[in-house]
Amino acid sequence: MFRARLFGSIVLLLYLPNTAVQGQTVNCKLEFSGTVTDEHDGTPLSYANVVLVEAERSAIADVDGHFKFIGLCPGTFTLRVAHLGCEPVERQLVLVKSTRLDLFLEHHSEELHDLEVIRERPDENVGQPNTVLDKHSMEKSTGRSMAEMLAVVPGVTILSTGPTIGKPMIHGLSGNRILTLNQGIRQEDQQWGTEHAPNLDPFSSDRITVVKGAASVQYGSDAMGGVIITEPVDLPRTAGINGELRGVGILNGRGGGGNAMLQGGLKGLRGFGWRVQGSGKILGDSEAPDYMLSNTGIREQGASATIGYRDLRFRSTLYFSWFQRELGILRASHIGNLTDLDNAIATGTPWYVGDFTYDIDAPRQTSDHLLAKAELDYALTERNRIVVTYAYQTDSRKEYDIRRGGRSALPALDLGLTTHTADASFKHWIGKHIHGRAGLSGLFQRNINEPGTGIRPLIPNYQKESGGVYLIEHLPLGERVEVEAGGRLENTTLLIAKYDATGTLLQPEFEYTNHALGVGVNWSIRDSVRVRFNFSTAYRPPHVSELFSEGLHHGAAAIEVGNDQLDSERSLKGTTDIDALWFQGRLQTNFTFYADHISNYIYLRPAGEQLTIRGAFPVFDYVSTDAFLYGLDATLQVAVTSRWAVRSRTSIVRGRDLRMDQWLFQIPSDRTETTLLYSIVKTGKWRGMELGISSNYVAQQRRIPPELDYASPPRPYHLLGFQASAARKLGNNEVRFGLQATNLFNTTYRDYMDRFRYYAAARGIDVSLWVRFSFGRPR
Amino acid sequence: MKQLILFFFAVVTFTSCKKDENPIVPVQPPANEEEVITTLVLTFTDIQSFEDHVFRFTDLDGDGGNAPVIEVDDLPGNRDFAVFISFLNESVSPVQNITTQIENELEQHQFFFQTVGVNLTISYGDEDANMHPVGLINNSTSLSPSTGTLKVTLRHDPDKSATGVSSGDITNAGGDTDIEVTFPVVIL
Repeated sequence: MFRARLFGSIVLLLYLPNTAVQGQTVNCKLEFSGTVTDEHDGTPLSYANVVLVEAERSAIADVDGHFKFIGLCPGTFTLRVAHLGCEPVERQLVLVKSTRLDLFLEHHSEELHDLEVIRERPDENVGQPNTVLDKHSMEKSTGRSMAEMLAVVPGVTILSTGPTIGKPMIHGLSGNRILTLNQGIRQEDQQWGTEHAPNLDPFSSDRITVVKGAASVQYGSDAMGGVIITEPVDLPRTAGINGELRGVGILNGRGGGGNAMLQGGLKGLRGFGWRVQGSGKILGDSEAPDYMLSNTGIREQGASATIGYRDLRFRSTLYFSWFQRELGILRASHIGNLTDLDNAIATGTPWYVGDFTYDIDAPRQTSDHLLAKAELDYALTERNRIVVTYAYQTDSRKEYDIRRGGRSALPALDLGLTTHTADASFKHWIGKHIHGRAGLSGLFQRNINEPGTGIRPLIPNYQKESGGVYLIEHLPLGERVEVEAGGRLENTTLLIAKYDATGTLLQPEFEYTNHALGVGVNWSIRDSVRVRFNFSTAYRPPHVSELFSEGLHHGAAAIEVGNDQLDSERSLKGTTDIDALWFQGRLQTNFTFYADHISNYIYLRPAGEQLTIRGAFPVFDYVSTDAFLYGLDATLQVAVTSRWAVRSRTSIVRGRDLRMDQWLFQIPSDRTETTLLYSIVKTGKWRGMELGISSNYVAQQRRIPPELDYASPPRPYHLLGFQASAARKLGNNEVRFGLQATNLFNTTYRDYMDRFRYYAAARGIDVSLWVRFSFGRPR
Repeated sequence: MKQLILFFFAVVTFTSCKKDENPIVPVQPPANEEEVITTLVLTFTDIQSFEDHVFRFTDLDGDGGNAPVIEVDDLPGNRDFAVFISFLNESVSPVQNITTQIENELEQHQFFFQTVGVNLTISYGDEDANMHPVGLINNSTSLSPSTGTLKVTLRHDPDKSATGVSSGDITNAGGDTDIEVTFPVVIL
């Protein structure tokens, strides 16, 4: 049912004032009007949100689905239509005269020759709470890491290892319990452990979807807490070149970055498009309010290229990307033993503070991610398509420790991971209403330790093969209800090769067979109230490090011991998501309630102490328990006037260890963010001006397991932020400026979710200034 | 539909390449770790009789695994000693002397000695290029009979100029710990 397809992103509304159309200039007298109609049954979609992105204009359709813009200048616009309960749809609109369009929004009919579908949201994840970060939202965090960008989403927090490494956490789960899909491909570099951030270039995507539910049916293993989907940007299809340049300067770290993108089509070959993109970033040491965080510099560079062709029947894409990162690890976090850790906690300041430098010394990490993807999408009939994707990715990681005898230049860990993934799915319709997807997916992966480190590998060599089948069907029930149900079966084998301490070769083999089932419902109770329910299972076979770790973990000052008897984690997660508009859309509310039961939840449990030549170390064993996580995400937004708005986002999560009957370790504390927004559609030559002041409060975590942590959780903190952005036209081109400031009062704080909180405070004030220059708008 | 079947076939072929010779097996067992310190030896040499009294800490399998072995000779009372420190990596063959590595990086290392309950004093007998002590060679004096412990700590990258550090007080030393071993000591 198409109603569901249109259902929408709330993010969209946050930056475009939902005002009636206003303001006219001499040459700008065009009108654009029409109706928004459900493609299947022809009923009007009341209160649909219609946006002309480049014009920074939006309108809300009335009860009969009518909308109207007046005073438009001629030009090319991105037309975006969103309806409560549906994903937004974007199309390109060329406006040369006043136009009236009835929007059915499916691409079959030739009557819509003025429109080209540039992005069509597949109707998936029915019943799952999800949030979309579009280009505009991402742009505000230009120069930040992916995890920092995502942290604005309620329910998403960052699990960090000092200022340079951050992993997104959804509803209290992170790492291997969150699946990252980069350009539709499973990002495999999370396979190595917690202090590894996902190797993604935030510049290479301009849309990220966060699905906050168990979604193994759709995406396979690991999708327990949620899925992060960085989506491919659609290619241009007509001739002409356009592009953009972006630059950002960042105060804290005294660095910056930039991105250049160029894209176009070919004359005479309609449907063919290409894009190239390259980016880089350099930061020196970060600063806490009272001292340098020595050795926390970052260097990143990336490039990507895409070519593609699409017509009504056939679509194909070739995508290639490369991303490289080098980062320093806080010098003061490198400690010798438990005494050092106790000293660090007792003194409260890092034991090593040097002068500011851009140099990155040991301990440090370098990582490379290479992805090549080929996709074919072919329409067998008008409504049935087959999509085949193959991807090849390599990840290499080198970790350099502080070593004696001039060996710091020799990596202490040198891993190479090669992954092939292949997927085939068949999108089909059964009769008039039921439609869905059947698919097959396979993965082949090898992890090899490069010899020459002089250190026994922490993670052994392994080979992983996995294959799965799935089926998902959608069934509309009447006007307002859409049901999705599906299942998946997956088999994973793991072959390990390692030498034990005595030099004997061990080659254990493991096999895990898992299934997932899910059912979701989108129910539009009224046009202004939409409820989503989802009840799904997800699974995750234990990771090699959980099976085979044995050794000293320096950053954590602990000996970690794996357990090869561990079984797959299984999660059963239920979510209820309620979106509502009140007072003609002036108040928007969104509530997500969730509860997640995970059996065989794997974690590290203290198991006494062990004496070494460096002193005593605590020993942690990988064990499993049953965990129960539950919580609430809430967003409220009030449009006070056409220019002023207040937005509030709150996340609460609780995690229990059911077998031990105690709280889980490292669950985010309660937090709430309130933002006052002021926006002006147009003033003089400036357009889309927006100012915001935000207040971020993070409570102290008091729900902790007894006698596990080395220090009690840090005190609550409150940070103030500011952001501003505006755009202006330069001929046919556009320049957009933005300013983002965080921790305005330079508050000293530590975050419970930072594994380096024992050693140093978090970063102090930071200001970044960015600019984007877009040239040659697509024609 | 044909494409679909073809693809299924491809995937099945693809994932069923069985490991004939296991390509993931590392070419050879990893060399034993070059940097492991398995053994710390303190030799107390009586400066009159040249008799050696040895304190030895051995952990042949490195961190984790089997527990370390600590062997300590009793010290005679009211004597002066020269104390030499050496460490070895006995997990490799031939046994590696790691003391030389520290000798190349004297400025970045310092030993600290802390006694509890035992009448033993230890003072530095060497220095680095900056005239700061290191602690590979020391002077020691035993007094009246007593029992207690001696804790030997090696810090990497200490702040040798900080208050008290050059006279052997670990409090302000900072740095990270390379070695921390506690010996039970008996003075006869």
